[in-house]
Amino acid sequence: MRLLTCLLLCLAALLSSASVRAQERPSFIENNTLSVCTNPTLPPMTFVNGADLSAIDGFDIALARELGALWHVPVTFKTMDFTGLFPSLAAGRCSLVISGVLKQAAREHLFDAVAYLDTSPVIVAPSQIAPVTSFEALAGQSLAVESGTSYAARIEEINRTLISRGKPPIALQQYPSEDQVVQQVLVGRSQNFLSQDVELFYRQAQLGGKLHVIFSPSLPGYSEFALYLRRSGQDKALLAAAIDTLKRQGKITALEKKWNVGKAARAALGVTSERPRFNTATFFSALFSMAFLKGAVMTLVIALASHAAAIVISIPIALKLNAPRSLWHPFLRAYVAVFRGAPTLLQLLFIWNALPQFFPIFREGWFSPFLATWICLSINESAYQVEINRAALSAIDPGQLAGGQALGMSPSQIYRHVIFPQALRVALPPTINEFISLLKTTSLASVISLQELLFITQVQVARSFEFTEYYAAALVYYLAMVFAFLHLQKRIETRFVWASRASAGGKTGPRIESPTDGTEASRHAA
Amino acid sequence: MLHNLPPDPDCALSLRKLSKFYGEFLALDRISLDIAHGEKIVVLGPSGSGKSTFIRTLNRIEPHDSGVLMIDGEVIDDKTSLPLLRGAVGMVFQNYNLFPHLTVLENCILAPRLVRKAHRDATESLARAYLDQVGIGEQADKYPIQLSGGQQQRVAIARALCMAPDIILFDEPTAALDPEAIKGVIGIIDSLAERRITTICVTHEMGFARHIADRVVFMDKGVVLEASPPEQFFTAPQSARARQFLDQMIHHA
Repeated sequence: MRLLTCLLLCLAALLSSASVRAQERPSFIENNTLSVCTNPTLPPMTFVNGADLSAIDGFDIALARELGALWHVPVTFKTMDFTGLFPSLAAGRCSLVISGVLKQAAREHLFDAVAYLDTSPVIVAPSQIAPVTSFEALAGQSLAVESGTSYAARIEEINRTLISRGKPPIALQQYPSEDQVVQQVLVGRSQNFLSQDVELFYRQAQLGGKLHVIFSPSLPGYSEFALYLRRSGQDKALLAAAIDTLKRQGKITALEKKWNVGKAARAALGVTSERPRFNTATFFSALFSMAFLKGAVMTLVIALASHAAAIVISIPIALKLNAPRSLWHPFLRAYVAVFRGAPTLLQLLFIWNALPQFFPIFREGWFSPFLATWICLSINESAYQVEINRAALSAIDPGQLAGGQALGMSPSQIYRHVIFPQALRVALPPTINEFISLLKTTSLASVISLQELLFITQVQVARSFEFTEYYAAALVYYLAMVFAFLHLQKRIETRFVWASRASAGGKTGPRIESPTDGTEASRHAA
Repeated sequence: MLHNLPPDPDCALSLRKLSKFYGEFLALDRISLDIAHGEKIVVLGPSGSGKSTFIRTLNRIEPHDSGVLMIDGEVIDDKTSLPLLRGAVGMVFQNYNLFPHLTVLENCILAPRLVRKAHRDATESLARAYLDQVGIGEQADKYPIQLSGGQQQRVAIARALCMAPDIILFDEPTAALDPEAIKGVIGIIDSLAERRITTICVTHEMGFARHIADRVVFMDKGVVLEASPPEQFFTAPQSARARQFLDQMIHHA
């Protein structure tokens, strides 16, 4: 029996020796998972297909799944801004970058690259513009490209040549996402855009025949899509072998066909029907979609959680700074200065992309975009809240402290029952203003892939190309939230009947509870 | 001289060489004084003479630096429990320092509830009784901002009474009041004396001082120059400084 098993195992091993090599797992597969960083705004390579945000799809996503199947490991996807892809790979947040990224020498200085699909750069212009045969024909015209890509550097190079020949340079315009690049030409702000053919294959239906390819330059470094990985031992060879295996098995050809990329698609660039300027149905379906509702809830939750933490952090700092000078002062002042001084977007990128380089613990799965945003916005907001609290505490008559002391109350009793409830009234209106501002600031977290309202919007736009409809839906949500809080602010202010003789007049007004029952005020402040 | 006698434990307050510094500045200079239970003391003196500092040392809002402060036979120092001391020595501030976010009644019961851990119902009925005594029982559920200056002062007095003090310190009690209201305060302070509550008032108001004082304490530059009954102080002051002060007050009044 044992002999038979052994024989069978040997036979199996012999038969599958070739595929065993291909299936040998590279070292970047950690915790038995293939984790992939991708920016799902580049259809048909990687994008959100449909209203459900977790459902990313495309050629790249399917390819990653094939790789996972080959290595018998599950695949997890981490979605983020394009500019965050390589910092995340460097930070060890994922094993591979699969995101329609071109194979280019500059990137290969830092990372290993394995090519998996042929492509070609295309210059696209409105359909009435005639095709051209060289970059010289574009001299003096405007050209939109996606920022964070290497197109810009390449165009600068071409510009130097143009200038040396006495021609005006191409006016470069850079936009943070592919869909915005295309939009610039659609709205007429830019005469041409530079992108890859696959993008255009997918966009044809959405563009309604308004745009077409006028030039397919042959640019070295723009002819292949590649997977990127950290440089480590045999990993590159193992990945290349895996891609070869998939090619031999016909899997890649099948994917090309499914996602309409590759040679066949290139031949079939056609013209399709006109689209309406504002599709009301799209707008309403976005407005009432689960995805937008979830995005709005995420925006609200992250804003509330961050502001709550900010208030907790800021109260002791404000008390210390209002007290006589101590050793703490310079440190607390520096804290406030740094976090008020640095742009919030920079702080987010720093926490998300730079921190893991210094402290590997931040590469782990628990350090989610939500947590990173929460930490960042809490600290950032606390610096502003400190100033509000200080002003509110300073506004309280020092006689209130003396009054409490003369009644034998301890300092903590005086703060809890006398100072804080009064300071709260002073601090509340500016605090709600701050909160409204914070609510809008949360949209910055879309760059580190927090799935808040703006992120949802961008993903939907990239998929469908229906800018106006999705932007309008996001606007409705933001305005609804802000107006709700403005209304709340008014309601709360009228609750402080003791603050003015006029409103304190009648017995009809709502009475503030006794602090001995624990008012909202003292609970908030304690 | 009182300076060299031991403090008298039978007095409400007994002070010996009580001094207070602000940095280099001597704010109170060796004050010695005995004040009997139920006595009504008025402290007079020019601005900056140390009157306010003096009464603030008596409840340790401004702790003294040297000398002896004895209250009800107990020596007051760093080890004295502040809640106990301030229960025994109440204070009514010039601008009352009422808590604007609390109603009149809540102003009165906050400290007894927090400091004495007194039961709410008992404290509340006591507070209502004191508010009735000072004549503003019907204002109990209003906020301070809804009351006149005189009414606010009565709240401050009722609030101090709720801690059941033996001594009440008044800082300029008449400063912001009209003559009608001043009459009311005089009545209240008299009724306190009837209950053997000692009162110490800092004031500028000569008429008020003459009316209520059992003894006038005259201070200048942190020193007590005189402590004598008002009829004696106002007609035949002992010190040249007091004569000068009275002359000025009469001219300006």
